[in-house]
Amino acid sequence: MIDIQERLRQIGPLDGAPDDDLLVCRCEEITKGEIRRAIHQGMFTIEELRRYLRCGMGLCQGQTCGRLVKNIVAAELGVSPTEITSATARAPMRPIEMAVLADDGGAAHG
Amino acid sequence: MKTKRYDMIVIGAGPAGLSAAIEAARQGVRPIVFDENARPGGQLFKQIHKFFGSKEHRAKVRGLKIGEELLAEAEKYGVEVMLDAAVIGLYPEKEITVKIDDTVRHYKGDTILVATGAAENMVHFKGWTLPGVIGAGAAQTMMNLHHIQPGKRVFMLGSGNVGLVVGFQLLQAGCEVVGLADAAPHVGGYGVHAAKIARCGVPFYLSHTVIEAVGTEYVTGVTIGQVGPDMRVIPGTEKYFDADTICLAVGLSPMSQLLKQAGCAMEDTKGGPVPLCAADGKTSISGIYAAGDVSGIEEASSAMIKGRMSGAAIAAYLGYADEKIQEERIFELGQQLGTLRQGMFSPENRGKLITKTDEGIGVSMHLLEHGSVADDEIARYPGVTRQAGIHPVIECTQNIPCNPCQDACPKGCIRIGEKITSLPAVDAAKECVGCGMCVASCSGQAIFLIQEDVGPGVGEVTIPYEFLPLPRAGDTGTALGRDGRPVCTATVVKVRSSPAFDHTNLLTIKVPNDMLMKVRFYQTQKGGMGL
Repeated sequence: MIDIQERLRQIGPLDGAPDDDLLVCRCEEITKGEIRRAIHQGMFTIEELRRYLRCGMGLCQGQTCGRLVKNIVAAELGVSPTEITSATARAPMRPIEMAVLADDGGAAHG
Repeated sequence: MKTKRYDMIVIGAGPAGLSAAIEAARQGVRPIVFDENARPGGQLFKQIHKFFGSKEHRAKVRGLKIGEELLAEAEKYGVEVMLDAAVIGLYPEKEITVKIDDTVRHYKGDTILVATGAAENMVHFKGWTLPGVIGAGAAQTMMNLHHIQPGKRVFMLGSGNVGLVVGFQLLQAGCEVVGLADAAPHVGGYGVHAAKIARCGVPFYLSHTVIEAVGTEYVTGVTIGQVGPDMRVIPGTEKYFDADTICLAVGLSPMSQLLKQAGCAMEDTKGGPVPLCAADGKTSISGIYAAGDVSGIEEASSAMIKGRMSGAAIAAYLGYADEKIQEERIFELGQQLGTLRQGMFSPENRGKLITKTDEGIGVSMHLLEHGSVADDEIARYPGVTRQAGIHPVIECTQNIPCNPCQDACPKGCIRIGEKITSLPAVDAAKECVGCGMCVASCSGQAIFLIQEDVGPGVGEVTIPYEFLPLPRAGDTGTALGRDGRPVCTATVVKVRSSPAFDHTNLLTIKVPNDMLMKVRFYQTQKGGMGL
């Protein structure tokens, strides 16, 4: 288990980077700077970042940005991307309308 | 709520999923295959190039043809395929939820094979969200399924086989490929794939990356720069290209989320999370299997074998086939898979710089750094000989698992031997009749026929040619070297097409004798085929 306070001290203060305004999660329009700031606030896992910023929670469900976000977290924490826990996989695995999801088993269609 | 039951549920109708379903169905299993796409076949129908390998791997057959064969086989064995059916959940008790039309349906299988493949990786740089920045897979879909040019002037990022193969397909589709870059210092894919596009004049920029996609509404250009060992751009090395499309071919990640959701033991690898599984695809959950790219990125040929192995294992697991017999079948398939994993591009050699072939010949550094073998390097390979009469010149310079050329020659001029990765050697003692079967059989388009002195001071070069419109006998144009630079003028002598050549045309051009070992491509005078 990571000691968050200890690690925050180790990674030091958040410096501005020239590419902080770069969009990383295009579905939810989250920038690299926002992700970096959240990491410096103590969000070290993809799961936390998803809940905090909604990056990877849009239409593509992180298919495009998942790896990019992971690399940003790894770079900020100074560890290998394989050490960063991936997002929890849960259904529905594909974007789906609530009406469809609610019609489980197709009862409405007989 | 109704739950339909099946012996075997396959998720993904690509090469691995279909192969597994067929293999199991042959033993009497009645599988159902779900795919979220409107068409089955996965990526196979986008793969218009000839595959590598040996006869048992269906080498020299084009991917789309293999796709058609698989579908026919699936139908023959009664494999049920459900399209437009996205599996949205996989549960450890081997139940799946599937979105079909506007409802969520439930299916339960005694076994479930996950063959969901992989998704393309992206990289982010300034302007990467502009329209015109696309994945190589998207480019392939547009060109090869929908017959649409992705753009007119394309810049390719990525020198792996995907970048190289799609780069060539872009040229075939009539696009101009203004450059190909890779942050790595050496070409990542097969040298023969690189050579195909280098000789069309595509410049290679190794140790380079995209800095910016330029444009306001859409891509109008691209700026690249050289990177140092720390992967940072070296100031002052920026280069700008006019381009309307930037194509990204920067690797694939397994789409393994369903396995993770089911609770299968996973491993986080550099390529992304993959399930821990046995050679036959068995995961940590009894009855759940994984095959193809979802269990580790490889080629489609490997995916098909891995699928067959899983299918064979599932047939035994379900009691449809004798366990002993299936074990033998899996062993035999494992041998085939092992063959494909040999050579310089084997999984254990990934990312390594190999400087010598198995034969002890130096690998062309020009090939690794610029995409083409240099004129003064080519003579050292065993496929390159100088003979009085017509003879093949085989510019196959890396140990890759492929051997159709050996069987293609009716006269026995070409020898690879037992070891499939050995470099092909030309036997000058055997007489070449110039039939061209070897030229058309080479999936890497690396075989040429050379004949000196067909007239005073002039000879002929026969090159594999897969562009339309075809030049005609009597046309004159520019002969290009391996690096795509103009070498001399050339006259077309003949163009041969035959069903046996499978859409690889043999273009014979006349050039001065001293140019025969330099000329490797032909450009029509008006700059046809987008060159």
